Amino acid sequence: MIWRFGLFDSTFEPLASTHWALLAALGLPLLLGLFAALFSPKRALPVALASLPVLASGVVLLAAFEQAGLLRWQWEIAGIHLSLRLNGLSVLLLLMTQVIGVAAALYTPGYLRLSETGPLARWLWPLMGVVLSALSLIWLATDLLTLYIALELMGLAAVGMLMLSGKVPAIVAGMRYLLLALVGSLTYLLGVALILGHWGRLDLQGLAEVIEPGPVAWFAAALIGAGLALKAALFPLHAWLTPVHENAWTPVSALHAALVIKASLFMLLQLWSILLPETFYAPRVIAWLGMLAIVWGGLLAWRTDSLKTLVASSTVAQLGYLMVAFPLLLGPDIAPLPRALAWEGFWLQLMGHAFAKAAMFMAAGNLILATGESTLKGLAGTSRRLPLSLLVFGIASITLMGLPPSAGFTAKWMLLQAMIITQQWWAVAALLTGTLLTAAYVFRMFRYSFDETAPRHRYQPLAPGMDMIALTLALIAFALGLLAHYPLELMHGGSP
Amino acid sequence: MMTLLLALALLWPLGVAGYTLWNAYRRPATQRGYFSLLWLSAVWPALLLAYAGEAHWTINAWMLGGEWELNSLSRPWLAFTALLWGLAAFHAKGYFAAEQAKAQAGDQDAQRRLLRLALLWPLTLLGNVLLIIAQDIASFYLGFALMTFAAYALVVHSGSDEARLGAKAYLILAVVGEGLILGGFLWAAGEADTLTLQGVREGILVAEHGSWMAALLCLGFGVKAGVIGLHVWLPLAHPVAPAPASAVLSGAMIKAGLLGWISVLPLGSEQVSEPLAQFGNTMLIAGLAAAFGAALYGVFQRHPKAVLAYSSISQMGMMTALVAMGLVAPEVWPLLWPGLVLFAAHHALAKGSLFMGTSISEHLPRWPLPLIWALLALPGISLAGAIGAGMVSKWGVKSPLYEMHHESLIKLLSWAAVGTAALVSVALWRQWQQRHKGGSNPEQWGAWLVAIVAALLTPLWLPLPAGSIEMPPMKEWLGIVWPFPVGVLFAAIGWLLTRPLKGKTLPAGDLWWLYAGVVSAMLVPIQAFGHGCGRLKSASVVTAQKAEETLMGHITRLLSGESWLRHHTSGLMMVLAVLLAALLMWEGQR
Amino acid sequence: MIASFDAIAALDVIEVVLALCLTGSALVCLFDRHLVRACCFFLAFAVSMTLAWWQLGAPWLATAELLLGVMLTGPCFFYALGHLSPGASSPLKHDTFNEPWSRVAMRVVLALAWFVMVGAAIRYVIADMVYSPSEHPLLLAGVVIAASALGAFALHRHLLRRLLAFNILGSGVFMLLAGVAGTSAAAQALISVGLLVAWLGSMLGALLIRQLLHLEGVEALGRDGALKERTT
Repeated sequence: MIWRFGLFDSTFEPLASTHWALLAALGLPLLLGLFAALFSPKRALPVALASLPVLASGVVLLAAFEQAGLLRWQWEIAGIHLSLRLNGLSVLLLLMTQVIGVAAALYTPGYLRLSETGPLARWLWPLMGVVLSALSLIWLATDLLTLYIALELMGLAAVGMLMLSGKVPAIVAGMRYLLLALVGSLTYLLGVALILGHWGRLDLQGLAEVIEPGPVAWFAAALIGAGLALKAALFPLHAWLTPVHENAWTPVSALHAALVIKASLFMLLQLWSILLPETFYAPRVIAWLGMLAIVWGGLLAWRTDSLKTLVASSTVAQLGYLMVAFPLLLGPDIAPLPRALAWEGFWLQLMGHAFAKAAMFMAAGNLILATGESTLKGLAGTSRRLPLSLLVFGIASITLMGLPPSAGFTAKWMLLQAMIITQQWWAVAALLTGTLLTAAYVFRMFRYSFDETAPRHRYQPLAPGMDMIALTLALIAFALGLLAHYPLELMHGGSP
Repeated sequence: MMTLLLALALLWPLGVAGYTLWNAYRRPATQRGYFSLLWLSAVWPALLLAYAGEAHWTINAWMLGGEWELNSLSRPWLAFTALLWGLAAFHAKGYFAAEQAKAQAGDQDAQRRLLRLALLWPLTLLGNVLLIIAQDIASFYLGFALMTFAAYALVVHSGSDEARLGAKAYLILAVVGEGLILGGFLWAAGEADTLTLQGVREGILVAEHGSWMAALLCLGFGVKAGVIGLHVWLPLAHPVAPAPASAVLSGAMIKAGLLGWISVLPLGSEQVSEPLAQFGNTMLIAGLAAAFGAALYGVFQRHPKAVLAYSSISQMGMMTALVAMGLVAPEVWPLLWPGLVLFAAHHALAKGSLFMGTSISEHLPRWPLPLIWALLALPGISLAGAIGAGMVSKWGVKSPLYEMHHESLIKLLSWAAVGTAALVSVALWRQWQQRHKGGSNPEQWGAWLVAIVAALLTPLWLPLPAGSIEMPPMKEWLGIVWPFPVGVLFAAIGWLLTRPLKGKTLPAGDLWWLYAGVVSAMLVPIQAFGHGCGRLKSASVVTAQKAEETLMGHITRLLSGESWLRHHTSGLMMVLAVLLAALLMWEGQR
Repeated sequence: MIASFDAIAALDVIEVVLALCLTGSALVCLFDRHLVRACCFFLAFAVSMTLAWWQLGAPWLATAELLLGVMLTGPCFFYALGHLSPGASSPLKHDTFNEPWSRVAMRVVLALAWFVMVGAAIRYVIADMVYSPSEHPLLLAGVVIAASALGAFALHRHLLRRLLAFNILGSGVFMLLAGVAGTSAAAQALISVGLLVAWLGSMLGALLIRQLLHLEGVEALGRDGALKERTT
């Protein structure tokens, strides 16, 4: 399990160009964000030009990994060891972050121009940059200190982004999120304190070698697990999520739902696979909660009246799928085949959901922006006037429902296969129920939008490309399912 | 040349139907004539074909393999059928002139009805021609079905309630009949592994259940031929159908059933098995029962066309009895069948002219009334066998029976002719009662007059084998003629006797009302069951709705737990941490 | 190692006093309904923390605490109370939100459970070292502070008090971290980052509280959870 995270020594030293690419991947988003705060871009074209080097850095890192396999960087600054690693999974997640980040950035100028955003809009750019840089760092970092720094940076910037709309409900929800996120980090820090106190080191590779099952590892795992579960909005600690998205700006919601909460989940899985490699019950607790999450999130999304709440609640349910896979990834006596299947299904589901959810938030944002209504009932008649936005919503829903040929389908297929091999019938039932509930809330939304009897309202025209960006993301989620072979190979790459 | 004529005979009506459609599509309704010369000519190639001589065609590409033939039987059959269709078409042009004027004046209902009739008339004709020349099962059945179902439009033409009832009766019985025929054909063809009618005949002869196949086919064709029990559509449909349609229905199409019998039954074969002979006896009795029963019931009818319909049933009963003789006494058949064909042809033309006559009596031309009634009576007298072709045809069937010593049957047939005479006189009387002034068109009475002449002179133009028909010798005349005056006398006596009833009559369609009563009685429990199911359904819908409401209420209450979760998130985080720690410790300590 | 042990043992009394000061000021800060007094006690707590870091031999952390905790985070709270903007009379004096007893009891039980859990964890970590928990009052104070601060965080609805509770919790956690891991470079780096984040978070929180007060009034500060859904 640990080797899958790339926690072993590398064979090759990174080249100079790789160093630069790494620096660009980590620093450029932040730098560009600050730059954009000074000259806030009004069009998508400069944003597109500026984001080219960021994407290029990702591609260079991908090429470097293809060439050399696992890469590691280590520095020692004033007695503190910092380390990064680049394996197939990190490259994939990094690319995903960059693509979604760039899409959100491209979407932003049009959105800001069309909606009344107020004076705080300028702040969105640096915060977005911080979030993207911190996310990139989280995918790469392999010591608890760097992870902590990146987590805190990301959390604070995310809270800031979510509250930029400045409305009272947004501030109340954001304040709740801020406090919970900070407390979650402190809980995580407490767990790190135990690890540091007992083993005296923070680098994951070293810890993976020295950690043995014992009370300290368990306490640390419990604290870290609870803290990160709170930040990752895992059921039942998810309740802060929906109000936050309810009032946030569309690109912010897209980034947050697609990436930010995934970072905490990524850390949780990585740290637990070091601390609790052979534990039976803890992953099952998470899986049971995941089943509840699937049902609960589905029901919430099904019964809600607000479009954004629907999309946000569906995130809760989709996280449930990932939680259900925990006992297949962690624990004693898991055969190699289901473990490999679950590993691939887990990350494919995570990435498919990220792209689809970002696309869905953008499509929902487009609908809300054009109609001026945020309720489902307000969508009546959009089938005639905004077919493209609805199409994007539909394609994204296909991924969420797990219908072929989307990434959601491939991922769920693998997870199902692994569950059937290990005979976890409850998980299978939860997965199928989730699909049904997803279909229920998606079709409920479509039923409202295909109401032909609605009077014709004046719709605000959308900026060019806003639908196309969302469509691209939704199609990427599709392509991940169709061309799953390559990313799956990358996830496996770099085995010792 | 023959083949070209054949193709023309079949394709011409199709082309006429197509032209009618094209015409309706292209021309405005106010200038549209439905009964053009082209339309009238639909049957002419077929008529020519009948006189062009005998021929045989095998067309492998046609369906399951076409086997068509013009032989000594089908030639005269095609001749009288085509002639009647042609005359009826002329008559129709006159008959529908008033309606066409209405249609051109903008009556959309009339337009629709006329278009339907003009379109389906040639198709019905096509089916009739095809079934006559067909010698393979598929073509025969195709022609029969086409004729049967296209003729629905002819019956329902006027669209009144009575017409609908008649058309309903016609269609129900037609479907039953088609089903029986199809079943019989499939069974017989499968058993004998054949695709031709000849094969079916031979198959029925040797098959173990040959009599049952014969029964199926006979009943199926019997619907068309008005065999007793299945005849009920005739008196319902004829009074409501337009006169030309009645003429072809009663003259030509009814004979298709007879032709069906002759085509599928192994008549005149020496090795008729015991059950088949038994079946022949049954058929004989049924035929005679129809001949007498229809006459007895028919004389009490008020509508002249209903009377004539019963007369058709009676006449067909006689023909049924004669066909049955082919099974009961096979040796008589070779001598009998030309007489039977002449009988059928004469009946077709005579009944056709009688039906056309009903339209004449409803729109009397400015001629002296006695002349008109004399002309109206002529085909009837002929039908009773007192003059002209009727006498010849009577002799044509009588003489073979004499030769083979079936005197009792001859007596019965003579008494049946008394019934015919009585029916015809009642029909004329009813026509007299219901006569109307109002001019007939030249086409109308022209076609009628030609039909009368053709009926009286049938033996002269019918292409029967030479020498098969001869004039009756003088000494037999009395034996042939006597039923007519007796019948008229009976009718007069009957009229005198039934005067106290003050015109109360029995309903047309006799057994139909019994059938309808039985079926609706049977439908009652089914309807009750249906109502029960409907109630059950609505009850379960209500229950399901209630259950859904309750469920939704529960879900909504459950989901309000979300805000509780939001309120207690930090507490839950503490619980989760403690729980995980306790669980891990517990597991680790084990 | 021995030398440091001796040094700590010698300064036992000062440590106990410091631990008591810390615990006392933290508890007052957490549970006093008078908000200005609570904020004052937070300042006192931060000063005690500075002294504690000094005492633990981490002058860099003491400087950071003095700068971030006392000089930057403290004023944030007074800004949130409205004491720094001239002319504005502060509507925030008391926390007027009342909690049902069941909730209070649940939070007390949870805080105790956390106390036991964290205590047990520390016990396991330190069992490998030479230390004994009773001889390390600051560590004990850290456990008490962390558990009670988390309990208070879960209990309170008033946003300012939750913010205070978070800060106290942070300090407690840092104290535990320093207690179990010593003042190694890694630990100091973690704590410094934590202090920075605490300050940033508090600043953001204070700004938001001011904004909420400006937009909606005092009631908005307690509008967590169920109440919010009803009103909107």
